[in-house]
Amino acid sequence: MEQCSNQVIVAKNVKKNYQQDSIVVEAVRGVNLTIEKGEFTAIVGPSGSGKTTLLNVLTGLDTPTEGEVWLNGRLLSEMSQRELCDFRRDNVGFVFQAYNLIPVLTVEENIEYVMMLQGVSKNERHRRVVDILKQMGLEGYHNRFPTQLSGGQQQRVAIARAMVTKPALILADEPTANLDSKTSRALLDIMRKLNEETNMTFVFSTHDPHVVDRARRVIILEDGVNVREETRN
Amino acid sequence: MMTLRLAFRNLLRQKRRTIFTGLSMLVGFVMGCFFIGWADGAYNHIIDSFTRQRLGHIQIHKQGYLGKPSLYKTIDNPERVGKILDTVGHIDSWAPRLFSAGLVSAGEKSAGVQVIGIDTEREERTTNISNKIVEGNYFDNRIRGVILGKDLARNLHAGVRDSVVILSQAADGSIANARYPVTGLIDTGDPGLNRSAFYLPLEYAQELFVLEGKVHEIAVNAANLNYIEKVAKELKSRLSGTGLHVADWKEFAHEFYVAMSADKGGMYVMLVIVVIIVAITVLNTILMSVLERQKEYGVLKAIGTRPGSLVRMVLIETALLAGACILLGSVIGYFMNLYFAEYGLKLANPIEWGGVQIKYMKGEVNFKSFYLPTITVLVTALLVCFFPALRAARTEPAKTMRTF
Ligand SMILES: Nc1ncnc2c1ncn2[C@@H]1O[C@H](COP(=O)(O)OP(=O)(O)OP(=O)(O)O)[C@@H](O)[C@H]1O
Ligand SMILES: [Mg+2]
Repeated sequence: MEQCSNQVIVAKNVKKNYQQDSIVVEAVRGVNLTIEKGEFTAIVGPSGSGKTTLLNVLTGLDTPTEGEVWLNGRLLSEMSQRELCDFRRDNVGFVFQAYNLIPVLTVEENIEYVMMLQGVSKNERHRRVVDILKQMGLEGYHNRFPTQLSGGQQQRVAIARAMVTKPALILADEPTANLDSKTSRALLDIMRKLNEETNMTFVFSTHDPHVVDRARRVIILEDGVNVREETRN
Repeated sequence: MMTLRLAFRNLLRQKRRTIFTGLSMLVGFVMGCFFIGWADGAYNHIIDSFTRQRLGHIQIHKQGYLGKPSLYKTIDNPERVGKILDTVGHIDSWAPRLFSAGLVSAGEKSAGVQVIGIDTEREERTTNISNKIVEGNYFDNRIRGVILGKDLARNLHAGVRDSVVILSQAADGSIANARYPVTGLIDTGDPGLNRSAFYLPLEYAQELFVLEGKVHEIAVNAANLNYIEKVAKELKSRLSGTGLHVADWKEFAHEFYVAMSADKGGMYVMLVIVVIIVAITVLNTILMSVLERQKEYGVLKAIGTRPGSLVRMVLIETALLAGACILLGSVIGYFMNLYFAEYGLKLANPIEWGGVQIKYMKGEVNFKSFYLPTITVLVTALLVCFFPALRAARTEPAKTMRTF
């Protein structure tokens, strides 16, 4: 089937089972969804509802037990491990809940990393790092190491790293889980502002209602199925 | 570039662990370096003592003499060979010799002897023979006669200033028969020779056996052991077509050579110990850090680092550490070996080897004692850390980054 060019993610009947000892855990049980370019979408659900599992499957970090995932027009199951690696590098920016930054690299080096993998020139890299740190309100922090930053600042650096290569999709799994509510809201405000300015696609999971408020589209996941969704402004 | 930077910073991260790993590589390297220098020094010392002080490093004979010695297989032109020897580099000294057998009697007693005609000055310069005289004197311009092996003298009940009579057959078929005063007794270090040695000045021996101007052997000492091969090669080419045969000690003292080679197995035992030390510590510590950094490798892989880069990162980390340790170890090993090459260790109980007394154990500074441990440490460390490196490369981000 032909994929429409502004569909970033298309998931068809995606299922993921985990084998745990003798029991099979059905973490994701038949998800169908489409994410379009420029969306600012939250995936919401109680703990254990399968948010992390779904996001991993949608980005090729994990393989679905059943179903198909199209990312930026490519069918993930057709790619080799190495192709997937390169594909993620060029198409997806990740923000994880924790352990995002490499502790032995400075803020600038962390942000530069993927650009180096892509072979972006040194001058261009530096220019982009300066730009993005300014957008994140982290001017002057480029020589700090992650441990010298607060949790909120670290997550902002992680977002900077995810965005700096201008990927088709920025994916954040509970980016605010380790932050207090004020910092969480500030982080979401930055993400939303960037989304509006650059039209980059954001998908994030959360169970924090304050964070959910900031989303324009909310997909509600229960027991591994997207049961409902809401659109807001 | 980034891989190198990451590897380097990761090393500085757990300083105590890095130091521990490094220390084991360092100890392994220095042990290997020292042992090889020491063993080579000791063996070369034994070999040098054995050959230089008695047989010579290289010997020249008429073709066929070595396999089946005979009075008639002579070097007919020793002066000409001598002139050639004087123009070849890295030769320390050389000495012509004449060999025959005979029957000696003193009073009522008699014994079979090995007659050895020696150029008194050249022999002294080549093998320091006068050091082995235990009674009486070595030959000089005034003192001419015979030097007897000390046990031969005892069997004959003959001492210094007694005279002995030798009976043999000359090269022309006539009876060789002469009487000489005993000028000295010698302890050659070789029991067989001590029972049979009958040293004569070369010109006496040539006259006795009617072999004027001829000898059976020319012993050559190179400047040191390392030059033997080179000198032997040059002599072979310079003397080709003369009917003479050039042999180095490995050929004419073949049994001794085989014994020495067999003993060098100790070196490999040592290298195996180095391998074990390095392998165990590297495997442990690198595996530990790889397991600790699973989440980081997960992030790196998720954001697009290829598995091969992760393997490289771990290998480079180990290689950097090994490189630093080898560099430091080389400096330490160099000075250690230099010290022991210079001063050695005086042995409380001298070792006897084939009649040569070894009073000192000396080390040696040579290339081998650096490159062998280098290869051993580097190859072991890299091979062993391949396993943790693969482990890092196989990290599954979806698994390692779960936070529950
Ligand atoms: N590797 C695994 N092996 C076995 N079961 C797993 C594994 N990973 C996840 N699960 C199970 O799958 C289900 C979904 O887990 P998942 O982490 O996707 O939920 P989640 O919505 O992200 O939860 P949370 O909000 O706590 O992060 C859970 O029941 C979990 O126990
Ligand atoms: Mg989760």
